Amino acid sequence: MTDDRQSRVSRRRYLQLAGGAAATAALAGCSNDSGELNTETPAEGANDSAGGGGGGNDTDSSDDQNNQESGEFAVTITQGQMDSGLDPHDHRETTTDIIVMQMYEGALDRDREGQVIEGLAENYEQAEPNRVRLTIREGVTFHNGDELTPQDVAFSINRIVNPDVGNLASPQSDQLAGITEAQVVDGERAVDVISDGVNPMAIGLLASYGDVMQQSWVESNDNSYINSNANGTGPFQLSNYVQDERVEYTKYEEYWREPAAVDALTITSASESSTRVNQLVSGETDIIVNVPPQEVSRINSNESTRVEAVPSTRIIYNGMRYDVEPFSNLQFRRAMNYAVDINTIVSEVLSDFADATGQPTLEGFTGYNPNIDPYPYDVEQAEQLVEESGFAGATIELHTPVGRYLKDLEIAQAVVGYINELSNVEASVNQRDFGALAGELTTGNIEDMPHWYLIGWGNETFDASQTLIPLLTTDGALSSWSNDQFDQLVSQAGQTANADERESLFQEANQLAHDQAPWIFLNRQYSVYGASSRIEWQARRDESIKAYEIMQP
Amino acid sequence: MSFARFIIKRSLQGIFVVWGVVTVVFLLRFSTPGDPITFIAPLDASPELRQRIAEELGLNQPLYVQYFDYLTGLLTGDMGYSYISGTEAATRIFARVPATVELAVAATVVAIVISIPLGVISATRRHEPADYAATTFSLAGISTPNFWLGIMLVLVFAVQLNFLPTSRRPVGIVQAVEVLVLSGNYAGIVLWLQHITLPAITLGTYFTALVTRLTRSGMLDELGKSYVDAARAKGLPETLVRYKHALRNTLIPVITVLGLQLGTLIGGAVITEAVFAWPGLGTLVINSINTRDWPLIQGCLIVIGSSFVFVNIAVDALYAYVNPQVVYD
Amino acid sequence: MVSPRTWRNLRRELRGSALAKIGIVLVLAIILVAVFAPFLAPYDPYQQDLGNSQVPPLGFSTTENETRSEMVNGSIEVVEEEVTVNATLAHPLGTDALGRDMLSRTIYGARTSLLVGVFGTMLAVLIGVTVGLTAGYYGGRVDDGLMRMSDIMLAFPSLVLAIALIGLFGGVTIRIPDPFVVLGLAPEMPPNIVLPGTVVLVVALVNWVWFARVARGEALSLRNEEYVKAARALGASDGSIVARHILPNSITPILVLATIQVAAIILLESSLSYLGFSGANLSWGLDIAQGRDYLASAWWIASIPGVAIVFAVIGVNLVGDWLRDALDPGIEGEGGV
Repeated sequence: MTDDRQSRVSRRRYLQLAGGAAATAALAGCSNDSGELNTETPAEGANDSAGGGGGGNDTDSSDDQNNQESGEFAVTITQGQMDSGLDPHDHRETTTDIIVMQMYEGALDRDREGQVIEGLAENYEQAEPNRVRLTIREGVTFHNGDELTPQDVAFSINRIVNPDVGNLASPQSDQLAGITEAQVVDGERAVDVISDGVNPMAIGLLASYGDVMQQSWVESNDNSYINSNANGTGPFQLSNYVQDERVEYTKYEEYWREPAAVDALTITSASESSTRVNQLVSGETDIIVNVPPQEVSRINSNESTRVEAVPSTRIIYNGMRYDVEPFSNLQFRRAMNYAVDINTIVSEVLSDFADATGQPTLEGFTGYNPNIDPYPYDVEQAEQLVEESGFAGATIELHTPVGRYLKDLEIAQAVVGYINELSNVEASVNQRDFGALAGELTTGNIEDMPHWYLIGWGNETFDASQTLIPLLTTDGALSSWSNDQFDQLVSQAGQTANADERESLFQEANQLAHDQAPWIFLNRQYSVYGASSRIEWQARRDESIKAYEIMQP
Repeated sequence: MSFARFIIKRSLQGIFVVWGVVTVVFLLRFSTPGDPITFIAPLDASPELRQRIAEELGLNQPLYVQYFDYLTGLLTGDMGYSYISGTEAATRIFARVPATVELAVAATVVAIVISIPLGVISATRRHEPADYAATTFSLAGISTPNFWLGIMLVLVFAVQLNFLPTSRRPVGIVQAVEVLVLSGNYAGIVLWLQHITLPAITLGTYFTALVTRLTRSGMLDELGKSYVDAARAKGLPETLVRYKHALRNTLIPVITVLGLQLGTLIGGAVITEAVFAWPGLGTLVINSINTRDWPLIQGCLIVIGSSFVFVNIAVDALYAYVNPQVVYD
Repeated sequence: MVSPRTWRNLRRELRGSALAKIGIVLVLAIILVAVFAPFLAPYDPYQQDLGNSQVPPLGFSTTENETRSEMVNGSIEVVEEEVTVNATLAHPLGTDALGRDMLSRTIYGARTSLLVGVFGTMLAVLIGVTVGLTAGYYGGRVDDGLMRMSDIMLAFPSLVLAIALIGLFGGVTIRIPDPFVVLGLAPEMPPNIVLPGTVVLVVALVNWVWFARVARGEALSLRNEEYVKAARALGASDGSIVARHILPNSITPILVLATIQVAAIILLESSLSYLGFSGANLSWGLDIAQGRDYLASAWWIASIPGVAIVFAVIGVNLVGDWLRDALDPGIEGEGGV
C-alpha cells in the first residue's frame, strides 16, 4: 500500500457471502505464515461492538421487536430512509418500493438472479409483438379477504400508464414504457397488455414493475387514505403505520404461496450509516442497507452479524450536459474521462465494493459490450485534450447527492480532486439534497438540469434498453445528451424482434456512448448489507429486500 | 394598567405578529425561484397535467385570492395538501410536534436542574476551585456547537462504550407512560430514557452554561446588596438568606432571558434532531425544504413562529406574576 | 469616538482578567492563521491522496481490520486484513477519508469561519443600525412599523430562517483570488478563497434585528437631548444629525454586541455547513459532517474541526466579555445556535 501503512497481513478471512448462512466459516491465511487454517473470526482489532455477549442486547433489549421466547419470528429491517407514502403507484424510490413490496405484488416477478418468474399471473406469453397475455391465478385474495380478479390487474396497469385512471397521474408511467393499456379478455381469466408498437421489453417490465391493487378499494378511498393504508395480495399485511418512523407488518396467513416464515416484520430507517451499523451490532435490527466499506470490519468482527454483498443493477455516473460549454465539446468530455482514475477510486474509496465501468450498460445485461474497457487514467492525455478543446481554464461544478449511494460524496470529491490535478481545469463539488437534484434532473427540460452531476441509475430489468433509453436518448426522461446516430441505434433495437440483432445494436450503441463520452463513466455499485445471524437471508441483485425470503436458521 | 389588560394587550400584539409571520411565509413561496409545480407534478407530466394540478392548487389565481384562501384555510386548521408525501400538511406537522416538545422540555429540565445549583455554588464560593470549574464549564458550554457536542457524545457513549443508542425515538413519553400505567411495564420508560439522554444533553448544554452564568452573576449582585446584609444582621440563617431571598431575585431576570432564548432553543432543536435522527419538527423542516414541499415548509415555519410568540407571552405573564413591581407598558 | 476614559477602562479590565488575555491571544491566533493560511498549511487543503486516507493524528497509530471485496467464481467474498496504520509527521493531525491533510483543512477552515463571521456581522450592523436609528430617531409610526417587523423576524429562530432562505434560494459562492497565491508567494496553494456568499447574506438577514434594537434604544434616548434639539433648530438635516450626534454615541454598545455576534455567526455558519446548506467546500462544519460516517474507524475527522470551532468561539466570547465588562453598555443579544 503506502509508506504510512505497514501492511502486516496476519490473517485473511474469506467470507463465503454467496453461501449466506455459512458466513461464520472463515478461512485464514496470510503472506508470512501461509497455510494456517483458522476457523475463528479475528478477535483483536477495533471490536467496538457490544463487548462480547453476542452483540450485547443491553441497549435495547425491549425494543419494538420480538422476544424470541414467545416463539414468534420477528424481523426488523433498517433502511436509509422511510417511504413517501404507501400508494404503490405513487413513488419512484427504492426505499418506498421496499416498504410497499412486502404487501403488494405484480403479475410477474423475478427470482434472486433476475430471471422472470410467474407472480399473480400463472402464465404469460408474448401473444403478438405488441401484446402480452397474462393468465391470472385463481384463489388469490387481497388482505381484506376479497378475491383477486383480472379486472384488478388491468385496472392497476392502467392506473400507472393512464393519468385518467384511478385518480392518479403515476410517476411510474415510464417504468412501463411503451405499454398503453391493459384489457380484460372476455370470457377468460386473462388480461391483455397492449403496447403502442413492437415491445420486446413488455414482459421484462411487468416483472419489475406494476403492483396490483384492488380496483374497488382504490376507487372507494381517497389518496390520503391509500397512502397510509394498504390492501395488497402480498405475504405481509400492514399492522401499524407511523409515517417517517416505522412500518409494521404481520404475516398474511391466506397468502397464495406458503405463508412467510417471518411472523412480524418492522421496517424502520436511520440515515447515518454508522447508526445503522450500531443498531445491527447491538441487536436492534436484523438487516441494514448500504454498509460503507469502513464499517464492514465492524460487522464482520461481531460474532452475531455478517456482511452480505452483491453487485447491484445500479450504475453511478457523472452526466455532462451536451448543450452547454465546456461539456458540449467532445474532447473536453473525453478529457474528463482520462483525468479520473476510476480504478483507484474503486479500490481505495470503495474498497473494491464496486466495479469500474466504461459503458452505460452493466456486465451481465443484454446489450453489454464485452470489448469496451474503462478509460485509462492518463493525465497528460487529459490535459492535451483540454487544450485542444479550447476550454483550458474552465471552471466546473459537480452537483452530487449526499448519502444516497454508497460513498456518493466521497466519489464526487475524488472525481473533482482528480480533475483539479489537471493544470488547466478547476472543479468543485456542490452538495445537493437528493430530492432537489432529482427534481431538476427529471423535469423533462434539459435547461433545468445542472451542467454536471453525479447520479445513480438502477435498472432491474437486466436489459440495456432501460438504461440507454431514459438516460441517453434525446427524449429520455433523465437524458442530458443528444446524438442522432445513438437515437437511431436504440430505436432500431427497439423495433427488432430478432434477439441477436437487438443485442448487437445495443452493443454498437454502447460503443458509441463510450467514444462520445456523454458521461464520466464511474462505477457499478455493490449492494452491501449487514445481516444478523438470527436470520437466513441472501442479498438480491435488484436492490429489493423481500422479507418473504427470510428464513429462520 | 391591570395584569389582565396587560395580558390582553400582549396577546393582541402576539396575534399581530403571528399574522405577520403567516404573511412573510406566504410571500416567501412567491419570491423563490423555480416553479413549485416542478416539485409536485410527476416526472413526465404533460403540460396539460401540470396545468390541471396548478388549477387544483389554485396556483393560477391572483395572489390576493390565494392569500385569502390560505388564511381562511389556516383558521380551519388546513395547511394544504402535501403532494410529495401524499398527506395533509397539518396532520403530518402535528404528528411531529410531540417529539420536539419532549426534547425541548427534557433539555430545559436538564439545564435548570444542573445550572441553578451550579450558579449558586459558583457565586457563593467565589475564587474557589468549584467556581473556576463552573466558570470554565459555562464558557465552554456557550462556545461549543451543539451538533458537534452531539457527535462527540455519540462517539464516546454509543460507538466506543456502546452504552447508549446513537439515535432514533422508538417510543414517545406519552406511550411509555401509558404502558407503565396500564400494564406496570417500565421497559418503555427505560427505552425512552436511553434514547432521549444524549439528545437532551446535547440540546441542554448551551442553556445549562448560559443559566449558570446568569445565576452566578445575578447571585453575586444580589449578595452584595444591602438587604442581604440586613437579613444577616437580623440573624437569619445563611441558607435562608441565600436561597429564599437572593436566589428568588436572581431568578426573575433568568426567566426573561430564557424566554428571549427560546428561538435559540428551537434552532438548537432543529440541528440536534438532525444529529440524532429525532423525528420532530426540525428534521421535518429540513426535509421539506430539501424537497421543496411547500405546504409543509409553510406549515412548519408558522407552527414554529407562532409557538415562539405565544411562549414569549407566557413568559412575560409569568414574569409579571412573579415580579409584582413590573411596569405594564 | 473612543474616549481616553474608555481606553483606561479597557486597559484596567484587561490587567485584572486572565480570561480577557486568553481571549485576545486566541482571537489574534485565529486571525493570523486565517490570513497566513497559505504559508502555514503544509498541503493544499483540497489535495487528495486516495492511497493515504484515514491516517491517524500523531500519537494515535492503530491496528485495524481492513476489508475489501473480491470476486471469486462469480460470488463476492469479503477479504479482511489486519493493517497497522502509523501516524506520520507528514500529517500531524492525520488525513480524512480522501487522504486530505487535516491540519491544512483546519487551517483553511479558519478563513471560511472568520470571513463569514466578520462580513456577516458587518452586513448585519449596516442593516440593523440603519433600521434602528431610523426607527428611534423618527419615532411614532415609523418606529412602530419597523419594530413590529423586527418582532416578526425574531419569531423565526435564526437557524430555521437561515436554512429556509438558503435551501430555497440556493447557495452562491464568491471566488476571491488569494493575494498570496496571485503574487506567487505560495504557488502550491488553491488560487481562490471561496466565500459562501449566500451564507453571509443570510446570517446578516437573521441577525440584524439585535443591532436594530440597540441602535433604536440609543436613538430614542438621544433624540430629545438638548444638543440634538439645538442642531435641529439650526437647520441641520436629519441625516447629518444622526451621523454626527446620534451614531457616534451608539458605537460602544454596537461594538460590544458585534463581538458577541461574531461568535454566534461562526456557530451558525458551522451549523449550516454541517447540514449541507452553505455551498462552501472548505469549512469546519462540513468536515464534521463528513467525519460523522467515520466515527468508528477514524474519529479524528469529526473531532478536530470541532475543537477548532470551540477555540475560535471561546476566544471571541472572552473578548466580548472583556469589552462588555469594560464598557458596560447594558445589552443582551442572542447567543449561539
